[in-house]
Parts: sequence; structure tokens; C-alpha cells
Amino acid sequence: MATANPISDDTSAAQPATADLVVFITAMPAEQFNGVLVNLENTFSLKDVIVATQNQLPADTATNLRIIPAPPSNSLWMLKPADFMGAAQSGLEHEAKAILILGPGADSLNSLALGNLANAVLTTSIDLALPHYSLPPHAGLINSAILYPLTRAVFASSVRFPLSIDLGLSPRMTERLANAAKRIPENHPGEALLWPVNEAVAAGFTLNEVDVGSRAMPQPSDPDINAILALVTGSLFADLEAKAALWQRPRRAPVTRRTATQAAPSSGSADVAGMVAAFQLATANLQEIWSLVLPPNSLLMLKRCSVLDAAEFRLPDNLWARIVFDFLIAYRLRTINRGHLLGALIPLYLAWVAGHINVTASGTPAESHIEAVAAAFEADKPYLVARWRWPDRFNS
Amino acid sequence: MQNLVTNSAQQTGQNAPVLPTYANDISIWNHMSDALHQSLYRVLTLLIAMLPGILAFFVALVIFAVAGVVVSWILRRCLIWAKFDLRIARKSGTDWTPTTSPTDIIARASFWVCVFLGLIIGVSAFDTSYATGTALPISLLPYLTRAVSAVLLLVAGILMARFLARSVLISAVNAQLQYARFLSLGVKWLVLVLTAAMVLDHLEVGGNIVELAFGILFGGIVLTLALAVGLGSRDLVSRSLESRVEHTGERTHTPEETANAGESLRHF
Repeated sequence: MATANPISDDTSAAQPATADLVVFITAMPAEQFNGVLVNLENTFSLKDVIVATQNQLPADTATNLRIIPAPPSNSLWMLKPADFMGAAQSGLEHEAKAILILGPGADSLNSLALGNLANAVLTTSIDLALPHYSLPPHAGLINSAILYPLTRAVFASSVRFPLSIDLGLSPRMTERLANAAKRIPENHPGEALLWPVNEAVAAGFTLNEVDVGSRAMPQPSDPDINAILALVTGSLFADLEAKAALWQRPRRAPVTRRTATQAAPSSGSADVAGMVAAFQLATANLQEIWSLVLPPNSLLMLKRCSVLDAAEFRLPDNLWARIVFDFLIAYRLRTINRGHLLGALIPLYLAWVAGHINVTASGTPAESHIEAVAAAFEADKPYLVARWRWPDRFNS
Repeated sequence: MQNLVTNSAQQTGQNAPVLPTYANDISIWNHMSDALHQSLYRVLTLLIAMLPGILAFFVALVIFAVAGVVVSWILRRCLIWAKFDLRIARKSGTDWTPTTSPTDIIARASFWVCVFLGLIIGVSAFDTSYATGTALPISLLPYLTRAVSAVLLLVAGILMARFLARSVLISAVNAQLQYARFLSLGVKWLVLVLTAAMVLDHLEVGGNIVELAFGILFGGIVLTLALAVGLGSRDLVSRSLESRVEHTGERTHTPEETANAGESLRHF
């Protein structure tokens, strides 16, 4: 028996249906979209959920969910400002109590994860529910090296994945993100990312993490680390610069309430020698540029690290914290061109990755090392605040 | 002259020796002296004619520079009193640094506007001092304006050379090219040579010799760089092709296969 297409073609001015939950699904391949629909049907009561999607429902797919079209966006591997605006519009039209945004690859999230994410907002009055993914030990390295430690130190937020592509939002959180999205100029691709954790802390909203298990993270079509690092890190730096008056206030880190699922132990070895060689090449060639950004003691420590053997290579946690802070300061001061600045950070990031791989290969759990790095960032926050206020001083 | 010699011989007597006279030499010296005096007079006249204009130029520049300092100070005080930086920061949401605050920018801009105004008035006064109908050449003034624009061209070229050199250096280092510094220096000198040739051409110095020398030098640098990149980038091309093949293979993997396929780094 053929099932009627749930996407109505009726253009009359009918009263939009209401629902407790609006699920905003971003653009994704058809098979992923079908998987998400199946999981949603298994999780939620049909009368309580409306699905707003940019995807076309295939003719041979049968579903009982209420599906409405959403404005398209160009999101392929991360959420874009247009997604937040579309989610806010859909939530407002249908008077939803919670909005769930699901990014590409969300079919790998099981029904329990989807339910927990939505219920965190529906039942416990949390404004922003972020997923805590169980990723392989060498995945999400930019997040482990920079995004998580920096966000934790600056905003005293223990959210492990501050740039999640799946979110549970309250109506006011969605509205805030939509307003922030509207402020982003269209001709500024480098700043076309929103930071939900930063916005929630700035607004004084409540946020929490939800364990969702493993997830297939979408990857950019062009996995060029130069472009990815510059885009993500530059966007975070710009957001931190805009919220400087907020994060310089002393904050107490909240108690971590989640119990993280242990990721599978690492096995094998990645190309540590290649990354160390890249760092050594950069040490020989970029001293002049690094000296504009980093203080002399950091440069000296980097020189000492450059002579280490690849098997023993490691970047000290406090050195890495200061490097990131100094680059953030230089980004703000425009010491050098921002594109050049973020390009000069790449070899240092690869050095951290090489050290992280060596640490995990020696038996230390990856999460333990990442937590140690985050603690180093927290301990050195006074250094960041001091240099932010008095940029010309290297001694503090 | 011969008559003078003859007359003097007749006067002194037939048997007396004929003393040579230097009347013609004295005349040469007089002519030379007259020529020197006249040229000295012309140069001094030119200098005297130029002096008021030069003095007016410097006086105008100094007066307007002092006025610029005063205006800058008054503006800075007024903007600090009006909390201009705070108002702008609230509106734009950007935290300004102490050395590049809006107040500082406006104060500096006002100072340099006054200096520039003084420069224009000074040049105008310098030009007016020649508008007296004298026949003295005033070819220096057009050349002065060309010199100023040549200096600006040189400064722009140097800044562009430094920017491009740094861009190439960082990109080459991130691409793990061993000759990154050499490449960066090559690009820098390319731009500097081009700038120097443009400046000399603008000043109309050297003519065809400069054009020829530039062509030879520029072509030599480009050829050297092309050889270096072509001979040295074989490894890079092969690595790039291998990474493309690997990336195409990864796309066909399912997420489970990718997770079990050893240590593939995922930066995001």
C-alpha cells in the first residue's frame, strides 16, 4: 500500500502544527537520512515531534513522522549559521519546547542517545545539551588540543566537545544562536562558525553534557589540515576576542557530572616521525615569525624539543598551553597577518599531536593526557589574562 | 695685436729689444673672469630666488606639524573624556588593544592630516615663489613630485615583498618543502627587483639600460626558481598523488572499517 507523502504540498495559510520537539536535520546523504528517521520513529511519540529537514524524502521511503521542509544550507561537515536560523524559525513556528539539531552522520546515533539528548532539554530544563561522543583515541585531535582545553580554561566549561554537530536546545538558546548567526556577515567565511558553549555561558544559560556513545564524524571533502585548523581555530579566536570582557572575570569550574565511556585503547602507530620532521623543519625556518608571537623562554623550549628523537618526542603541556595563549594574544593584536599567524601554528599543532601519540603509545590513556593538557590551560589562565591586559610584557 | 707690438717697437727704438706685451692674455683673463662672475651671479640669483620658497616650505611644514600636535592632543583629551573607546567597544563588541584604540587612531590621523596639509601649503608656497615671470628653470618641481611618488612606490613594493615572502615561507614549510627559505627569498627578491625597475622607470633614470637589466635579472631569477621547484618537487608531486589515491580509498570505507583500519588520524 502506498503511503502518502507526509510533506504536504498544501500552500494555503493553514495553522502550523505544534509539537513538543522539533528535530532539525541538516543536509546529509539519503541513506543517512533514512537511518535518522528510523531512529526518531523508534524514540519519540509521533505526535510529539516534527522533523524539519533540508533533505528530500525519497518516494520509496515510508514514515509516519511529520516532516516539513527547511531552508537549505551548505553544511557538509559542521553546523553553519543558516542551520541555527532555520532551527530557530522552525521551533518558533511550531511552538516547540525543545529543538534537536542533528548534523551529517547522525544515523550512527542510537535511539537512546537521541532520547537522552532531547530529554535533557525537555525534562530537566537545560538550555543547551551537548553530546559527549566516544571517539577513537586519535580522532577529534583539534578539539582535544585546542578547542576543549581553551574553552574549559576561558569559560570554566567542562564540555568535552564544544563544537558538536548535534545539539539539544531550548527555545531561548535557539533564539540566541539565531541572533548570533544573523550578526555574522556573509562575506566572512573565516568566522562562519557559531560556538554554542560560549554563547550559553555569555547568556548565563545552563548547559550539560549527555553521553551518546560512538558516532561517525563527518569529514571535510578536502582534508587539508591547513585550511581546517585555520578555519576552526581562527573562528574560536575571533569569538574569544569578542567576548573578552566576559571570560576575564574569575570563574569556578563546574563539577563534572558525567561518567565518560572509555574509548578503545590505541594500537599501531601513526606517522609520528613525519610530524616531528615537519616541526623540526618549521623550527629551522619559522623562528623569525615565531619570535614575533612567542616569548624567549617558549622559543628556547621549542628549540630543545626540536632535537628530541621522534620516539621520545613530547611537547610539555604547559608549553603548549602558553603557545596557544600567545597565539590568541597575537591574533587579537594583529601582530602579523592573521592568515600567516594561523599558518605558523600548524607545525606546533603537529608537534603536539606527535607528542600525544607517543604518550598514548606509552600506555597513558588518551583522555588522561587530554585532561592533563586542559588542566595546564586552566593553571595558566592568569598568564593569558595578564598578557591580554598588558600585551607588551613577556614576563609574568 | 700686431699693431700694438709694432707701435711699441717703434716707440722704444729700433735697436732696443722688443718687449712682449700681454694685452691679449689680459683680455682672455678678463673674458674668463667676466664669464665666471656672470655664472656666479646667475647661480646666486637662482639660489636667492629659491631661498624664500624653501624657507616658506619648511616654515609651513613646521607650523602645521606643531598645529597637528596640538590638534591631536586636544582631540585625544576630548575623546578620552567622552569615553569614545568604550562606546565604540560596546557597539562593535570588539575589545580594542591599548595601542590601536579608536582614540589613538583618530589622534594620529589628525596629526598626519595637519602635516600633509602643511606639506601641500609648503609646496604651493615654493611654487608661488617661482611665479614671478623669471626666466629661471623650474624643472626641479615636477621631478620633486615624481620623486615623492617613487618613494611611495618603493615603500609599497617593499611591504608587498615582505608579505609575499612570508606567505610563501609558511606555505612551503607546511608543505614540508626543504627549500622553503630559498623559495621565500626568491619571491622576495623578485618583487623587490620589479619594484626597483618600476621606480627607476618612473624617475626616467637609465632608460633602456634599466629595462634590459631588469629583464635579464628577472628572467634569471624566474628560471632559477623554476628549475629549483621543478627538480626539487618530484617528491611532493608523488606524495600528493599518493594522498589523493588514499583519500579516494577512504571514502569507500564504512565507518566501522575506518575505525578498525589502524591509526588513521582524524584532526576533526
